[in-house]
Amino acid sequence: MNTILGLGFIFLLALLAARAINKINFPAVTAYLLLGIGIGPALLKIIPADVINASGLISNIVLGIIAFGIGQNFSRDNFRKVGKSVIWISLLEACGAWILVTLVFLIVLKQPFYISFLFGAISSATAPAATIMVIREYRAQGNFTDTLLGVVAIDDAWCLIIFAISLAISQAIYAHMLAASFLIQVFFKSILSIAGAFILGSIVAILLSYLSRFLRTQTELLTFTLGFVLLNTGIAIWLKLSVLLANIFLGAVLVNINKTSSNFFDSLKTVDSPLFLLFFVLAGANLEIDILSKLGLIGSMYLIFRIVGKVVGASLGASISRASRSIKRYLGLGLIPQAGVALGCALIVKNDFPEVGGMIFTTIVATTVVYELIGPLFTKHALFKAGEITVDNS
Amino acid sequence: MQVKEIMEKKVVAVTRATSLRQLLKIFSKFHIFPLVPVVDEKNRLVGIVSFHNLIDALKPHEPEVLKTVPFLDEREEDIFKMEISAEIGDLVIVDDIMETKFISIREDAPLEEAYKLARLHLKGELPVVNDAGKLVGMIGAFDIVREIFRQKGVF
Repeated sequence: MNTILGLGFIFLLALLAARAINKINFPAVTAYLLLGIGIGPALLKIIPADVINASGLISNIVLGIIAFGIGQNFSRDNFRKVGKSVIWISLLEACGAWILVTLVFLIVLKQPFYISFLFGAISSATAPAATIMVIREYRAQGNFTDTLLGVVAIDDAWCLIIFAISLAISQAIYAHMLAASFLIQVFFKSILSIAGAFILGSIVAILLSYLSRFLRTQTELLTFTLGFVLLNTGIAIWLKLSVLLANIFLGAVLVNINKTSSNFFDSLKTVDSPLFLLFFVLAGANLEIDILSKLGLIGSMYLIFRIVGKVVGASLGASISRASRSIKRYLGLGLIPQAGVALGCALIVKNDFPEVGGMIFTTIVATTVVYELIGPLFTKHALFKAGEITVDNS
Repeated sequence: MQVKEIMEKKVVAVTRATSLRQLLKIFSKFHIFPLVPVVDEKNRLVGIVSFHNLIDALKPHEPEVLKTVPFLDEREEDIFKMEISAEIGDLVIVDDIMETKFISIREDAPLEEAYKLARLHLKGELPVVNDAGKLVGMIGAFDIVREIFRQKGVF
């Protein structure tokens, strides 16, 4: 099958799959992922090799766009609006999973530090789509629901920062495992990657904001914004800086220096859905089915301790910010789904760490499927316990 | 030529506390629902309400921060089948549905800039503010086009 025909099939089948899965109240992303596994090399082998080989390229572009969009959360106005509880809970549930999963992989599973650290960082991500779908379906409302929505909306920002830092450190460790002075090298390489991303993102944001005064039409606005996000991503790759952080900083600086910045973010929404679709299908297609059977222990530990980390972290955050008792006890259960951001981070790991990347990536794809299927049940239970939906919980 | 020379100075504005019922009543005599400026007690422009925000009032409330969330399925709501109680007329106020991120133009800006802004952001009209951020009028793309026709002697 030629590449273009393959793409045509992917888009149309994905559309059908999303419609079908929406009927049973699962988000479209789950359909795309399952479709990717089904028509990928693991099973039906419909996706052309050219398209699969472009996975790294697509995921870098998609993550660039996502990170740019997430950056807009870092406006002064937003921090004031979302409130103390949401910030504390989201920060601590993300860190809770990060630290706990890292420790379990390091101590119990005896994995090397950089692998444990990467698993930990990826585990901090949450996928809002499934959680929001449950909230919409049952028309949940109240203080618990509002806090949960706020937390799922901003916690990917923390995850991307955690992942970018962990990736920089892991790369440095991986590259200098035998060097004597490696601690200092690790430290400097990580700082350079992060500080460089900040400087790059800020310069590009200022340039984008300044040059935008010459734009005349909506089409130009879209091309211009996409061009700048790609430029920023490309320079970050070229200079070996963190792509994620460079784009978060681009979005974050832009939202604080440009009064009409929402137009840039909104313009990308007109083109992002087919890209996102392709990204998820390719994520599914990259699942390596032959190593899946060997991942039983790693997969189950990841599944369990990510949930424990999130529940304990959320509860701690709720205690610090003096949130209500139901938020303290149940909010973590609404944070179980994992999808886009985790898969994107895992794809980066797959590219950057060829020897272990396949194992990490396949674990994340497989656990994503499990989390996306069980997550809504936990969310429903949490909302029911918090008294914000009135359904039979059986 | 500056925006203030041709803008409409008699503008119907509402406040954050205006109820949905009052809002619908005020504009029921209009041919279409215009872009409605929202002002505070000092007449400073704090938001806008458009026709799209009225549709939001029919749906359950979701925080603005969700707009930044990637991979979210679009919410499909059949507005013809929504279960809505009459009470929302008083319960929903402008503050719940207004947009706080919007495009406005200064009264001393040239007409060319107003036209460019309206075109770039696909807006039919823009609220006009003075140096202090107070609402002083509205300018529509039609006002600008009409002015050009007038200058050319068409009418």
